[in-house]
Amino acid sequence: MKVQSGAKTAWIRRAALLLLPLAALAWSLAAGSLELSWSELAALLLQGPGDGIEQTILWRIRLPRALLAALVGAALSLSGTSFQAVLRNPLADPYLLGVSGGAALGAVAAISLGFTAALVPPLAAFIGALTALALVYLVARAHSCSTHTLILSGVMVGSLAAALLLFLLWRAPSDATRQAVFWLAGNLSLATPGWLAWGWIWVGSGFLLLWACAPQLDLLTQGEESAADLGLNVARTRLLVFTLAGALTACAVALAGLVGFVGLVIPHICRLLWGPGHRLLIPLSALFGGCFLMIADAIARSVYAPAEIPVGVVTALLGAPFFLYLLRHKGDGL
Amino acid sequence: MIAVSNLAFSFGPKAVFSALNLTVRRGEILSLLGPNGCGKSTLLRLLRGNLRANGGQITWAGIPVSEIPAAIMARKVAVVPQGMQASFPFKVKELVAMGRYPHRKNLLSFADREDQRVIRRALAMTDIIGLAERPVTRLSGGELQRVLLARALAQEAETLFLDEATSHLDIDHRLELSELLVRLNRELGTTIVQVSHDLDLAAAMSQRILLLNGQGEIAAEGAPGAVMTAENLRRVFRVDVKVEENPYTGAPQIHPLLSGVVPRLETAKIHLICGGGSGTTLLRRLHLAAAELSAGPLNEGDSDEVLATALGIPLVRELPFSPYSPTALEETAAMVDRAEILIIATQWWGAGNLACLELAETALKKGKTVYLLGTERGRDYTDGDAEKKIAILRGLGARSVENEELLLERLGRKAL
Repeated sequence: MKVQSGAKTAWIRRAALLLLPLAALAWSLAAGSLELSWSELAALLLQGPGDGIEQTILWRIRLPRALLAALVGAALSLSGTSFQAVLRNPLADPYLLGVSGGAALGAVAAISLGFTAALVPPLAAFIGALTALALVYLVARAHSCSTHTLILSGVMVGSLAAALLLFLLWRAPSDATRQAVFWLAGNLSLATPGWLAWGWIWVGSGFLLLWACAPQLDLLTQGEESAADLGLNVARTRLLVFTLAGALTACAVALAGLVGFVGLVIPHICRLLWGPGHRLLIPLSALFGGCFLMIADAIARSVYAPAEIPVGVVTALLGAPFFLYLLRHKGDGL
Repeated sequence: MIAVSNLAFSFGPKAVFSALNLTVRRGEILSLLGPNGCGKSTLLRLLRGNLRANGGQITWAGIPVSEIPAAIMARKVAVVPQGMQASFPFKVKELVAMGRYPHRKNLLSFADREDQRVIRRALAMTDIIGLAERPVTRLSGGELQRVLLARALAQEAETLFLDEATSHLDIDHRLELSELLVRLNRELGTTIVQVSHDLDLAAAMSQRILLLNGQGEIAAEGAPGAVMTAENLRRVFRVDVKVEENPYTGAPQIHPLLSGVVPRLETAKIHLICGGGSGTTLLRRLHLAAAELSAGPLNEGDSDEVLATALGIPLVRELPFSPYSPTALEETAAMVDRAEILIIATQWWGAGNLACLELAETALKKGKTVYLLGTERGRDYTDGDAEKKIAILRGLGARSVENEELLLERLGRKAL
C-alpha cells in the first residue's frame, strides 16, 4: 500500500514537472479579454509574429506579460526560499528585510517628485530596495549578522520606510497617489520588452549563483554553529545569499510592484513536495513560482475581463487553500 | 597539538576564564569535567575557534586558531554538539552526508560514490542504518545524538570534540559509542576531547582528565586515577563520594554517598544567622534536612534573604542596608530560644550586625550548641570588637567549623 502510494506520488510529481510550465504558459497566452481557443492559439503560434490584431495581442502583449509573470514569480520564490534557509525562519518572505518598504518608498518618492516617465519608478524602486537592504545589513553587521538582528533591523527599516511612504502619499496630489497605490498593489501590466530582457538576465544569474550555493544553504539551515563546524564560512556565505536574494526581490519589485504571497508560500509548498535539500529546491521553487504567477495572472485577467483583479488577490486565493491542504496532510514536514 | 596559553574569556561582564593553560596531545582521549556552568562547553568552542578569546592564545600545531580557514578547520576537527533543534526535515542520510562538505569535490552535491561509502559506514557504526530515510524532525533525543555523531564521523577529521554527546543515550548505546570512540582512538589515532558528566565513563575511557572548578580554573589534571580522588571531587562538586577501583577495568569508579547528612537531621531544630551569601549552601541543605529551620535577622534584598523567602523559611527581616533594630533582635532571640542549635555563618562583622554575637552568647549560656562557620577568615570592621566577642564565644564552648560540608557532617553525627 505504502509503496503504491509512493510510486503514485512520484509519477504525479514527474508529470506535473513536465506539463506545468507548458500548461501555465498556454493558459496565460489564451486567457484575457480576447479569449482564444486552443486551436486558435496553436495556429497563431505557428504563424509567428505579424500585423494582425490577434497576432499583435499574442506576441506583443500576452507573451511578454506571461514571461514577466514567470520571471517575477521565479524571482520571488527563489528569494523566499533563500531567506527562509538563511534566517531559519518559516515566516521569512522576500519582503521581510525591508526590501518592499524601500522599493515602494523609492518608487513613490520618484512619482511624487514628478518623475513619472515609464523608466523612472521601476529604477527608483530598485535603488530603494537595495538601499534598504544595505541599511539592514549595516545595522545587523554590528552583531555579526545574527538572524534575530537581521529580522529585527529588517522590520524596523521596513517600518521606517512605510512611515515615510504614508507621509508622501498624504502630501502628494491625488492622481499621483492613485498611480502609486496602483503600482504598489502589484501589477504585471507595465512591462516593456527591454526591461524584460534585462530582468531575465538578472534573475537568471541570480538563480545560477544561488543554485551553486545549494550545499551552503543546506548547511545554513543547520544553524550557525553547526554550519561553521562543518567548514562553512558562515558570515561570508550569509552575506552572499542575503545579497543575491535581496537583489532578486528588488528586481521583482521594480518590474511588478509588490506581488504578495508567492515568496512566502511557494517555497513551503516545494519543501513539502520535494524535501528541504536545496539542490532540488532552488530550481523547483523557481519553476513552480514562475508557473504559479503565470496562472494567477491569467485568472486575474480573465475572471472580470476586460477588467483585471489585482494579481495579489488571486495568488492568495489560490495559494492559501492549497497550502492549507498540504499542511493538513503533510504538515509535519514543515 | 592544541596549545592554550593564558586564555582569558568572558561572557559580557562574567569572566569565565582568566589565565587558563593547557595542551591537548595528539592521539589522546581527554575528558573535561567540572560542575555546571564552569565553562567546559565554552572551552570546547574556544578550542574550535567558534568563540574568540579575549586574551591569550590558542594554537593548532603552532598556528593560531583564528587564522585557520573554515574549510581546513573542518578537516582537522569534527564536533558532536549537545543536541540541535531540527527545523528542516532533512532525512537522516542527508544530514549525515553534510559531514562530507569539507571534502566535497562537486559544486552542487555533498557526496559522490566514494563519499557514500563513508556515509554508510558512519550510519552503520552508530547503529542508525534503519533510520536513514527518516526525517530528522521525527527522531528522539538519543537517536538525534547518534545521527550527529554519525555526521561527525563522516567528516573523517583527525580530532573529535564531543560536548556531552552521549548524555541522552540509553545505557547500551552509551557504552557502545564509548567503545567506538576508544576504538577510533586506538586504530586511527583520532584525538578525542570530550565534555562529560558521566564521571565513571570518563574515568574508564580517558587517558587524561582535566577537572575544572566552578571558577573556571583547573582544579586537577592528569591520569584518571590521580584526578578522580574523593578529595578532588569533594572540592569541585561539593559532594561526598567514595572512589574505588573497578574490579574489571581497573578504572576509578565513583560512588556518591547518598546516605550522607540529609536524612539524619530530621529531629534538629536550627537557627541560622547569615547574610551576604554566606548562608546560601546551608539554607538550601538544611531546609531539606532539618526538622525546623529559622533564620535572621536578614536585610531585605540580601541574597540570603531572597533565598530564604523563596524557600519559605521563617525569618526575621530588617530594612535594606540598615543595622539590626532592637525589635528585630528581640524577635530573633525568641527564634533562637525555640531552636536547639545556632549556626553563625556570617563572615563580615560591622556595627550593624555585631549584636548577633551577643545573641550567640546568650544562647551558649542557655546551654544551646553554637557553631561558628569559618570565622577565622571573616572580616572584622569593628576595630577588633567582633574578634574579641568571637574569642569569648569560643571560651564558652562555641565550636568552629571550617566549611559547610564539615558542619553538615558534624550535625549529622550529632543527630545520630
